[in-house]
Amino acid sequence: MRKHVLVRSGAVTLVTMLIVLAMPVGLRGQAPSRADVAEAARKASPHSSEEAMAYWKAEVARRLAEAPGRVYDPRKPAMANPPKTPWGAPDLRGYYLTAMYTPLERPDKVTKAFYTPEEAVSAFTFATTSDAGVDPATVHYDWKEFGMDAWQSPVRPNLRTGLITDTPDGKIPALTPEAQKRRADAAAQRRQRDPQTGVQIFGNLYTRCVLGGGAAPLIDGGAPGSDSAAGAGGVTTEMQIFQTPDYVVLVQQRNTDVRIIPLNGRPRLPQSVRQWYGNSSGRWEGNTLVVQTTSFNDPAPATHFQGATEALQLTERFTIVDANTLRYEYTVSDPKTWTRPWSVEAPLPRIPPPLYEFACHEQNYGLINLVMGAQIRATEGRLDPRDPRVATPTDGGR
Amino acid sequence: MQIRLKSAAMAAVAAGTLSLAVIPIAGQAPSPAGLSPSTAGVARMDGKPNLSGIWQAFNTANWDILAHEAQAGPKAAIMGVWGAQPGGMGIVEGNELPYRPEALEKKKRNFENRMTVKVANDPSRYDSGDPELQCYRPGVPRANYMPFPFQIFQNREQIMIVYEYKWSVRWIYMDVKSEAPVDSWMGWSNGRWDGDTLVVDVTGMNEYTWFDRAGNFHSDAMHVTERWTPSGPNYLLYEATIDDPKVFTRPWKMSFPIYRRLEPNLQLVEFNCVPFVEEMMYDPLGLYRPGPRKAK
Repeated sequence: MRKHVLVRSGAVTLVTMLIVLAMPVGLRGQAPSRADVAEAARKASPHSSEEAMAYWKAEVARRLAEAPGRVYDPRKPAMANPPKTPWGAPDLRGYYLTAMYTPLERPDKVTKAFYTPEEAVSAFTFATTSDAGVDPATVHYDWKEFGMDAWQSPVRPNLRTGLITDTPDGKIPALTPEAQKRRADAAAQRRQRDPQTGVQIFGNLYTRCVLGGGAAPLIDGGAPGSDSAAGAGGVTTEMQIFQTPDYVVLVQQRNTDVRIIPLNGRPRLPQSVRQWYGNSSGRWEGNTLVVQTTSFNDPAPATHFQGATEALQLTERFTIVDANTLRYEYTVSDPKTWTRPWSVEAPLPRIPPPLYEFACHEQNYGLINLVMGAQIRATEGRLDPRDPRVATPTDGGR
Repeated sequence: MQIRLKSAAMAAVAAGTLSLAVIPIAGQAPSPAGLSPSTAGVARMDGKPNLSGIWQAFNTANWDILAHEAQAGPKAAIMGVWGAQPGGMGIVEGNELPYRPEALEKKKRNFENRMTVKVANDPSRYDSGDPELQCYRPGVPRANYMPFPFQIFQNREQIMIVYEYKWSVRWIYMDVKSEAPVDSWMGWSNGRWDGDTLVVDVTGMNEYTWFDRAGNFHSDAMHVTERWTPSGPNYLLYEATIDDPKVFTRPWKMSFPIYRRLEPNLQLVEFNCVPFVEEMMYDPLGLYRPGPRKAK
């Protein structure tokens, strides 16, 4: 029996094109303005802005009333006796959300590492109300009607002002001179208007459906106040942890990416064998799963996490905090990129099953439109690398 | 984990219908010649066989699930022996696929067009060409006889299979009768133990996958019933009954051994084929370029 097939988000341009084609003939003669397209989207939506806003106001009010009781305190110790698997290991199995509102870096105007609980609720409130806008003209497929905003999930207010835990200012450490040059070269490359641009020039591995985003680690923080697609990562941030006595398997729903982590001290692949997700080895330290990953490949023209190279080294820690929360910590180092290692800590809330297959490459209709659009813009001299709707070459990361 | 169940009565009826062979191994349909399975030495977990580990089939069914002779293969002028098809005995019991007449015509067209790549912004992209060629997921049962290893991770409530090919994943939900909420390439699997045999019902597959490179195909009505029967510590017998009334006049069955990979410290090595096919798929549209142009 035929059921609906989930289509990749890249086809939004197709929807917009269809709306344009449905517009009165007179308007079709010239390129429609953004205002025209927005107005057409509003008319095409099954709900008026007013109806949607009334519903969401009630939902937002409910969520914000709950917020003070749900603030995550990273300094609170994890439970001493977490549930165990039948073979006696801490039971990490289940489904988790990697979306959050806490940014990776401490915001510029903030000078401390921890909010008061009231400030944490206030930051969460700001992010939620920013996310809850429901003008059909600005949503992505009207997807806000389908419960894909981070605030509609178990994402919690967090006492941390930023996710980075071990730099003095809560920011990513300074880049090495080599990394600064790479970044400058990439920016110069983006400014070239090359009508021959093509699929592999896109540094965004998700656009090409090679990976679900950057490779490891699992999270790179949210951005309060931005819309979820760019910020909190509310869309397709589900993951599963599966365990057997000798293995942990991490499955991320986005692109259905899989990482297999042996716990039995199995020797690593030779260093000459590189992989998108590197090569991992895991062990238990008390109740914490520690995973060390090395041998990442060279993902050019993309980069690894936050501009890192194939020299990236990653250590991750997974600890059950309470019945509904997994603490996720990581330390990254790359002597070709950062002047020192740096670390992150964040809560991952549990969510109900299941995970769905995300057949990204099979149904990557949008890639064709994106590349054709980039070629046309470059030909017309309109390629603007600062426009967030342009899939820029070598924009890297997620 | 809570997957919504159908009513207990329906579950009981279905279980009763499927578990006719309560007696293990010896009482089942004849297995391929030469196999004398026994469960001596089979690893166990919770009283059931433990299928965890890395496995692989060794046959040529990915080329053609019916018996076939060696052939030069497509693009022989470029590929030489690398692209040649080896001969093989096939894996279909009775060596015959009961196609409806119009479906047999489609199979022939599939074969003629099996290397056609016609990428489009819509499902017409699936009308021709072997999906494997473009790094699409292989579906079930083909994933089990691709020339790549796969790893089974077993818990009581769920069994996960990760195939080295494109790290395709299957989740087998144990002892529930859950329905596929949406179509997918790898299907929706419900499993249970019938003695020492893992029985898996696979539904909810889309119609885009093929059984092999020879163009044998199915519809989205296909229902696959797998039986995984450990027959010794290092191999199992795999059987799959294919029931697809839109394409075939009756159900039919395939079977072959699957072997445990025995190399110590073996691991799956990523086979992310998406970058490998971008030139083939997008260059005909003028959309492929392998890297940035040098500044003028």
